[in-house]
Amino acid sequence: MKLQVKLALYNTLTKLAIILFTGLLILLSIEKISYNHIELRLEDDEREMLRSLSSKEINRYLANQEKYTDYNILKEEFITITPIKFQPTVTTGNKFTTETRAVDRNDQNDQTYRILTHQFNFNNHSYQLEIGVSITSIEELKSIIKRFTLLTLVIALALTLASDLVFTKFLLAPFYQIIDRKLIKVNDPLNFDYEKVKTTTQDFELLDDSISSLMKKISALFSLEKQFIANVSHELLTPISIISSRLENILLQEELSEASENKMHASLKTLNRLKSIINSLLLISKVENNQYDKADVVMIAGVIMEIQEELEDRMDEKRLTFTNNMKYIYSIMGNRPLMHTLLFNLVNNAIKYNNPKGSITISDELKDDIYILEITDTGLGMDQRQIESAFNRFEKFETDERESYGLGLAIVKSITAFHGIKVKIDSVKGRGTSIYLVFNRE
Amino acid sequence: MNVLIVEDEKGLALEVDEFLSHEGFTVEHARTKKSASEKIFVNNYDFILLDLGLPDGDGFDLLKMLKGMAEREDAVIILTARGAVDDRVSGLEQGADDYLAKPFSLNELLARMHAITRRKHRLESNDINVKGLKINIQNRTVTYNEERIALTKKEFEIFNYLVLNKNRVISRTNLTEHVWGDVLEINSDSNFVDVHVKNLRKKLSAYIPIDWFETVRSIGYRINI
Repeated sequence: MKLQVKLALYNTLTKLAIILFTGLLILLSIEKISYNHIELRLEDDEREMLRSLSSKEINRYLANQEKYTDYNILKEEFITITPIKFQPTVTTGNKFTTETRAVDRNDQNDQTYRILTHQFNFNNHSYQLEIGVSITSIEELKSIIKRFTLLTLVIALALTLASDLVFTKFLLAPFYQIIDRKLIKVNDPLNFDYEKVKTTTQDFELLDDSISSLMKKISALFSLEKQFIANVSHELLTPISIISSRLENILLQEELSEASENKMHASLKTLNRLKSIINSLLLISKVENNQYDKADVVMIAGVIMEIQEELEDRMDEKRLTFTNNMKYIYSIMGNRPLMHTLLFNLVNNAIKYNNPKGSITISDELKDDIYILEITDTGLGMDQRQIESAFNRFEKFETDERESYGLGLAIVKSITAFHGIKVKIDSVKGRGTSIYLVFNRE
Repeated sequence: MNVLIVEDEKGLALEVDEFLSHEGFTVEHARTKKSASEKIFVNNYDFILLDLGLPDGDGFDLLKMLKGMAEREDAVIILTARGAVDDRVSGLEQGADDYLAKPFSLNELLARMHAITRRKHRLESNDINVKGLKINIQNRTVTYNEERIALTKKEFEIFNYLVLNKNRVISRTNLTEHVWGDVLEINSDSNFVDVHVKNLRKKLSAYIPIDWFETVRSIGYRINI
């Protein structure tokens, strides 16, 4: 969940809790205050009533042990006196209850009353006095307040949620800008944008500064590494150069025997191999350091045709059949020499590990913007273990050709990774190998 | 012709010196930028073989200095371990005549020096005569009695390179590298060039006997003139 949403949610929930709490408090206190007020009035009424009660009146009221009821026309208040079973001592305290009563038997409308109940003895009789006041209006008020509170709650929530979202969005804008501009769009510290993101939030300034200083460190390390590679190459290539020049000079002397001449040439060959290994490693590390650009439009079919021409003699030598089934003109933005090296290595491998009179087939397909190039040979094939370790540096396979340095597929791996191409190997031992290049359009 | 080698590696300079002296060049050697600039200031050279990484600075500075001087026609070949395309491009754009990445073959160096000489002096004979075959370097054709022999691009390259390095054994490795360039991770000693040479010899032998076009067993080829 986004930070912005989380903040908004947190704010909304806390506000919800506060509003609920205050709402409940208001409702409860209204009830309490109004009941209190009513009860005081009821007690006044009771005192008045008891004072005005004379024996004559009681007798009149309660001749024949009947119930006495009195109420006003709106039934907002009532008084009843009911004879009850004689008790020598009665509790003198007042009891308050809230009940729904129909005071008039003919009346269908029940009302809610706050009722004071008082028991008293008179002339050896026990009576129960009840004085009630209608609290229907208070209940109505309560429900109105309830509704009003609910409405306020909903509106307040909606407003705060919206305002929180807008505000946090505004607040976090520099943060997302930092992430987008400095982290997502930068895949090379050399192209890093050191310009500060405009913000008044101290934390974001800190974040911005930290990322910038980190990037500075990384790019310093990068350039150090590049320098190191250049130096190593220089250091290694110069001695090779000296030895090979020396050998060539010795070869110029005519008194050399044929045997030693052969040895000189063999040594030159070994030196050349050393040079090739160094250059391969340099290529891999340069590709992995993004020291190449991807500014060329490379047409895959064109490169394949070039390679076919270049390797024709090697295929003739092994009497291989080369079939080009490519149907699409597909091109990518990439580095042309690297793409050439990549495809050259794959086709060359297909020749190298093929059986005499075998075949090499190149085909392609285009599915939902995904272009797949397939290079299939009828050669030695690989087992599962070999496929898994195929792209490891210096991994060698049993082959008739002793000149393999095990760097061909390592180069393939780094070039494909550089161009965002996926590689898949399908192979059956002894049957042949298919290599798929999956070009995913960005 | 006189050559100045600007190279801090004494061993390499000595070998190049020995080779070029053997080929009839007069060779001088400078190990630092300072001594090189003094020599360049005093003498005119036909060739300056320039290493870029010098102990007291960058070889490019010498190139700039040379290009700033009037009436100099010294041909500059940059020799460096910095083989990156960018380095090559900037070297050539700053006025170098050629560029060789270390380690290079001395034969290749010689062939390039020959090529520069031809270019510079606009040799009237762009034609080289080999036993009655005429090789035209400019048009890249081989003719016999005005009749053009149909060679492929690669076959011409091979023939031309062998002729330029006449009387010397050229290994397959060397030939492959010259004709195909510095291709990574290929089998330098596979019979990469053999098919082309076989075809070349077949085409040439249709016109004249080619016993002078020798195959040196297990090593390479030699043209004896």
